Amino acid sequence: MTSIINDFHAKILGDKEKATPSATENTLSSQVTSQPGLAPLSPYLNFDPSYLPASQPEFIFPEGAVKQRGRLELAFSQIGAACIIGAGLGGTSGFYKGIKATTLAGQTGNLRRTQLINHVMKHGSSLANTLGVISVMYSGFGVILSWARGTDDSINTLGAATATGMLFKSTSGLRKCASGGGIGFAIAAAYCLWNNRETLSQISHQRINPARK
Amino acid sequence: MEEYAREPCPWRIVDDCGGAFTMGAIGGALFQSIKGFRNAPSGMNKRFVGSLMAIKQRSPIIAGNFAVWGGMFSTIDCTLVHFRHKEDPWNSIISGAATGGILAARNGVPAMAGSAIIGGVLLALIEGIGILFTRLSAEQFKPPTLVPEDPSQLGPPPTLAESRNYS
Repeated sequence: MTSIINDFHAKILGDKEKATPSATENTLSSQVTSQPGLAPLSPYLNFDPSYLPASQPEFIFPEGAVKQRGRLELAFSQIGAACIIGAGLGGTSGFYKGIKATTLAGQTGNLRRTQLINHVMKHGSSLANTLGVISVMYSGFGVILSWARGTDDSINTLGAATATGMLFKSTSGLRKCASGGGIGFAIAAAYCLWNNRETLSQISHQRINPARK
Repeated sequence: MEEYAREPCPWRIVDDCGGAFTMGAIGGALFQSIKGFRNAPSGMNKRFVGSLMAIKQRSPIIAGNFAVWGGMFSTIDCTLVHFRHKEDPWNSIISGAATGGILAARNGVPAMAGSAIIGGVLLALIEGIGILFTRLSAEQFKPPTLVPEDPSQLGPPPTLAESRNYS
């Protein structure tokens, strides 16, 4: 609520300062009037605009809401992106494989076109399905974890990725299952390190030189 | 139509694709688990294994088909929004029919026509139900009509001289 007033106030003051330079003389509280010489509009509008941070953008959030989109809201976009990327990559690789296979078999014309389409559809859909299922699992685990723990942080990412790897390889033996979990954990760890590199560099700086902030 | 609850247009394609994939994956897993359970050879252990295998093999394919449908539908929807400059039920119906047609393109013209009609009718039903629900739920937000009180009880309006006396 305050950000709306601040924004509104900044706009009014911006106009006011151009019109009447005397309004800025009083630095602590500037009187907002509809016309110069009249009574001020509202006591809530009387404060120094220099307290408003002008450099950073202000966003309006509902009370008590997190200032970031939750995992559930991001999940569908992530799954869709994984599917589309998988379809694109798989389709391209299928196209190359199809061209190779048809030239080897010496197929031409109609037959070759149909075979090419078959190859593209088959490879594209299989890679898209694989990536999509992985991201459905990841999103599901992520949503469950963040809902269970009440927070959304790197531990959720790590846990969800590990569980996804294990579940995806769960039908092909214990050893494969463990290695799948390990791969998931490694990817998630790399992502988390990259995502938090600023925090990490700050920590290492402070360890070397505690006086520096 | 809750146009503010959805993503803006180019990203809506990704969002719808993901939503359709999720729906297909979860629904397909449920459906295939029952089907695999019933089709497996007798014995409880074998039935569960059969159920699991059916989920593993078939549900990604169902999910992929759903995702293709959702993505294609959304793409055509966004194209129509771009060219028609409005978002209305006709967009959905046209894109449903077009999606059905395009996805059956490899099965010949009669199959295309059949799929297009099915897609269009399905989306028309969905949109119709949506509009119906909006109408029904709009009833309860109607402001109560104010019944004006009977002015004849108030007597004749005061003349100019009477009102001067009061003030």
